[in-house]
Amino acid sequence: MKRHAILGTALAAALALAACGSDTSSPSSSSGGDDGGGSSGGTLTLGAIGAPATFDPAGSEWGNYAPFYQAVYDTLLLMTPEGEIEPFLATDWSYNDDNTVLTLTLRDDVEFTDGSMLTADVVKENLERFKNGDSPDAGYLAGVDEAVAVDETTVEIRLAAPDPALLNYLTRDPGLVASGEVLDNEDLATDPVGSGPYVLDTGATVTGNSYVYTQNPDYWNPDLQHYDAVTIKVFEDPTAALNAVKAGEANGVKLSTNDNLEEVGAAGWTVHADELNFHGLLLLDRGGTMNEALGDLRVRQALNYAFDREGLLQAIEQGHGTVTTQVFPESSEAFDPALDDRYTYDPQKARDLLAEAGYADNLTLSMPTSAVLGSTTFTLLEQQLADVGVTVEYTDPGNNYIADMLAPKFPLAFMALEQNPDWQLIQFMVGPNAVFNPFKYEDPEVNELMERIQFGDEDEQAAAAGELNAYLVEQAWFAPFYRAQGSFATDPATAVELVPTNAYPTIYDFRPAS
Amino acid sequence: MLRFVLRRLASGAGLVLVITTIAYALLYAGGGDIARRILGQNASQEQVAQKAANLGLDRPLWEQYTDWLGQAVTGEFGRSWFNGQLVTTSVTGRLAVTLSLVLGATLVAAAIAVVLGVLAAVRRGWIDRFVQFVSVLGFAVPGFLLALGLVLLFAINLGLFRATGYTPITTSFTGWLASVTLPIAALSISAIAAVAQQVRGSVIDALHRDYVRTLRSRGLGFRRVVFKHVLRNAGGPALAVLAVQFIGLLGGAVIVEQVFAIPGLGQLAVQATTSGDIPIVMGLVLATAVVVVVVNLVIDVLQAALNPKVRLS
Repeated sequence: MKRHAILGTALAAALALAACGSDTSSPSSSSGGDDGGGSSGGTLTLGAIGAPATFDPAGSEWGNYAPFYQAVYDTLLLMTPEGEIEPFLATDWSYNDDNTVLTLTLRDDVEFTDGSMLTADVVKENLERFKNGDSPDAGYLAGVDEAVAVDETTVEIRLAAPDPALLNYLTRDPGLVASGEVLDNEDLATDPVGSGPYVLDTGATVTGNSYVYTQNPDYWNPDLQHYDAVTIKVFEDPTAALNAVKAGEANGVKLSTNDNLEEVGAAGWTVHADELNFHGLLLLDRGGTMNEALGDLRVRQALNYAFDREGLLQAIEQGHGTVTTQVFPESSEAFDPALDDRYTYDPQKARDLLAEAGYADNLTLSMPTSAVLGSTTFTLLEQQLADVGVTVEYTDPGNNYIADMLAPKFPLAFMALEQNPDWQLIQFMVGPNAVFNPFKYEDPEVNELMERIQFGDEDEQAAAAGELNAYLVEQAWFAPFYRAQGSFATDPATAVELVPTNAYPTIYDFRPAS
Repeated sequence: MLRFVLRRLASGAGLVLVITTIAYALLYAGGGDIARRILGQNASQEQVAQKAANLGLDRPLWEQYTDWLGQAVTGEFGRSWFNGQLVTTSVTGRLAVTLSLVLGATLVAAAIAVVLGVLAAVRRGWIDRFVQFVSVLGFAVPGFLLALGLVLLFAINLGLFRATGYTPITTSFTGWLASVTLPIAALSISAIAAVAQQVRGSVIDALHRDYVRTLRSRGLGFRRVVFKHVLRNAGGPALAVLAVQFIGLLGGAVIVEQVFAIPGLGQLAVQATTSGDIPIVMGLVLATAVVVVVVNLVIDVLQAALNPKVRLS
């Protein structure tokens, strides 16, 4: 029929038109350029699971937000895929005898994209802004008394007490350096000026959705510029990320779930896996101030015996991860493989320990629950605890899950926490002032070990961290279930190496596959 | 006519005021600890309390609202609490994207629905049954599910369109078409279903009217009667349904934009609401409320233009 023919023609025309468009704008077609390891590999298109809140280094975050910042800013030090700390903006560093003054020697040839130069004053200002800024990691520099520009290329960071994590901090958000000319500029949040390998194209960028970077022609370290341009797209919806992978609309994508790994593999992509978080119960009220039972070691150990970790890993993460009972990561020297199964699934033993402590069938635990973290997890926990005679009373604090946990309003809570390098991890979840030690619980033995880590030399630090790890497991400060797998997918045209300490690969570690 | 438009505009402004007041109160009720969410899980309780005080979150609700309102009437909507972007910049930029989707879907829906509806009403028989079937299907299949199917077929398997992202029409027309075709298709299906049903019903109704018989008896061709007279009479109810659909599509865009990673209002609304970015959410509420008021006004004016029997009073 005539009408059908007209409709059909119109549709075909639209398809043809659109097809031309999709060809010219497809990222994978522009990235397959031949590359001999030099500096030109077309456009690198990355997928991230969230957008950075601001480009102001003083408000910056790391983890999944790292590539947005690394593209425009350099850090003082560099973390390699081997986990080594190497020179970057700072060529050399050394501590004084009691590890309270870190002296950094800066490069003298680094120019920001506004033409101003990197100097010790600029670094000092950046460090102080970060310490007093809005970044969730501002606390990392809390122990810094002051930063002093000794001369044009020398900065001293003076500490109240030794901070074994400081060098690591300088490889990430606290180490980002913006041009000294723009630090008071309100536009810094959306219009970054750094000395990094790329420059943000603010005209082509849609905040929260896609970030377009062009190559910095005057970069001081052209060996790290493996691409002519970089685009980072934000895929908050896992389906959008998967579709981008299948349609070849990116070169590297961080996957927020492990649900679709088979489909990603089937699309010809490589999945790079790491384990950077542990999921489990934080037995926060170890002193028994809110719930007396948790002050009893036998109860905390009983909770550790009560969980079928393998079953939880299968049910919640489809088996993508490794069961564990320790909170230190595999990359740490304190890590002990034997501590991954210190507490095996043994409901009978759990019952016995509870009975011994006087809580046979009469222990009730109040915990927060959250639909956002997945209702399956909470149901399974409730069931497995019920099996050993423990009743769970859930409260849903809505958006205040973390806030209420840290208030603290619950004696224990389910959580996924990042497993950072030793001292950072200790400051995050173990020390008396750690954010995730909201009851400010202290144990003399832990304090002593922490002191040895803080003030000891490298060997002493490693030995004491190992002892601390074993002690925390034995004392059941936590009931970890497993380290969940993090997955990063790359297309066949792209090679990448993961860093052992961050959820997102370093931007310089992406290369065109040879 | 002018008086009518002015009066409608005034009542629209009142409506917008009521909507923003309610939205602000609801945000406050469901807000939670916004300062904690801004600073993240690594921040200390002291930092969080300080941030809350800086943002004025420790003040009473009415004080925060009158503050916002006072600045809003002077055109000052502030900056996002999370990324420091000006509210006007981020909302207008994204409004353009969403409107291009929703307007596109409305036009496509109107065109296809009129063709289908008229065909069904005039031809009846199998075409009618087919249109009825398609309509039910269009109602039943959720937009996001359809979006997934469309992406799988046209973007991944056939490679004809883009699966994610958005190219502004000012950058490249074909690029724009490649990025909006699937979202528009996904969005327009349910609107087509609704409007086609309405057109079909109204046309059948109109065809039985006396004036049609009179016109036919005076020798006018059937086509001319249908397109010049029947459609004009049947158009009113269809337009009303289309207006309702347009507003529904604004809501549908929220999901569809997520699936296609399109930087529209929907994506921004989800981000801002879940994080508690009150300046952005209020900007969005205001923008969508104004759009809805304007669309309703335009539809009323169109109704009058289409059919002089509709008095603008």
